[in-house]
Amino acid sequence: MASRPLNDDEVLSEMNKMVAFIKQEALEKAREIKVKADEEFAIEKAKLVKQEQQAIDALYEKKRKGAEVSQKIAHSTLTNKSRLKLLQQREEHLQDLFATARAAIDELAMDEGRYVQFLQGIIVQGFLSQLEPEVTVHARPKDVQLVQRAAENAAQQYNEISGKTVKSTVEGSLSDDIAGGVKLVSGSQRITIDNTLDERLRLLEDRMLPEIRADLFGPNPNRKFYT
Amino acid sequence: MAAQQSQSIQTLLEAEKEAAKVVQQARQYRVQRLKDARSEAEKEIEEYKKTKEQEFKAFEQSHAGTTQTVQARIDKETEVKQKEIRAAYEGNKDKVVQKLLDRVILVKPELHRNLKKQQ
Repeated sequence: MASRPLNDDEVLSEMNKMVAFIKQEALEKAREIKVKADEEFAIEKAKLVKQEQQAIDALYEKKRKGAEVSQKIAHSTLTNKSRLKLLQQREEHLQDLFATARAAIDELAMDEGRYVQFLQGIIVQGFLSQLEPEVTVHARPKDVQLVQRAAENAAQQYNEISGKTVKSTVEGSLSDDIAGGVKLVSGSQRITIDNTLDERLRLLEDRMLPEIRADLFGPNPNRKFYT
Repeated sequence: MAAQQSQSIQTLLEAEKEAAKVVQQARQYRVQRLKDARSEAEKEIEEYKKTKEQEFKAFEQSHAGTTQTVQARIDKETEVKQKEIRAAYEGNKDKVVQKLLDRVILVKPELHRNLKKQQ
């Protein structure tokens, strides 16, 4: 460094150097700032985008799952509807069958020989069920004669089977519209056995359902237990 | 000499001012960049969302298609089974009606199993 004071030219040159230095410092600082700014820009943008993308992905995944579930539900409903249709058809066939049977039992009383034998049988069955000493046998008015004969034989058969005796009274108190058979009422009016053809058919309709199903439509492939 | 000094100082002060301006511009640039980051990110996100929405719609379309095919198949199968049921019924009903009628009049009077015949 000069130990004497500077002359004008030197002052100028020093001034210019200083000004240049200041400018250079500023430019470098500015450049640093800009570079960092660009970096932060990239980072921030990537962060925001990724964040939102994840949220959007989750949202659409949920939507997709919802759509799949509702589709499965729809398919299941279709299958179910189909099954119900088939079951309904079976039920209709069954009711048709029962209607046919109910119409047919009216004919059973026509064959007198068999009918009397039948009456005797059901009267004995009634006696053996009630085990009463006194019984009133209700029949259709048109059956009264037959039933009286049948009741006598039935009392005898009852005695042979059980050793007991019974006193029976025949009354024509059933309606003529029913298909046939008798009702037995015990002496104290408390025990009634409905052994009419209609009632017997009704009981059969109910109890024979598994057998009817197998006969009409074949055995159930899904059934696992048979007692 | 004093005039020269103050002129030098003036020059330096102006240089400082210019320098400060340059730096200030850089800082503004930074602020602007941050704003840009947000707005550009939003744009990209919108694009992404649109793409995903289209994907989903396509997925839904294909699904609606399968439901219909399934329905058609089920309907056909049901039709076949219905025919089978009807045929089975027609074939077997007489036999079953007869079975019912036979059992209506079938009667086997028996003493209750807990009792013994009284002598």
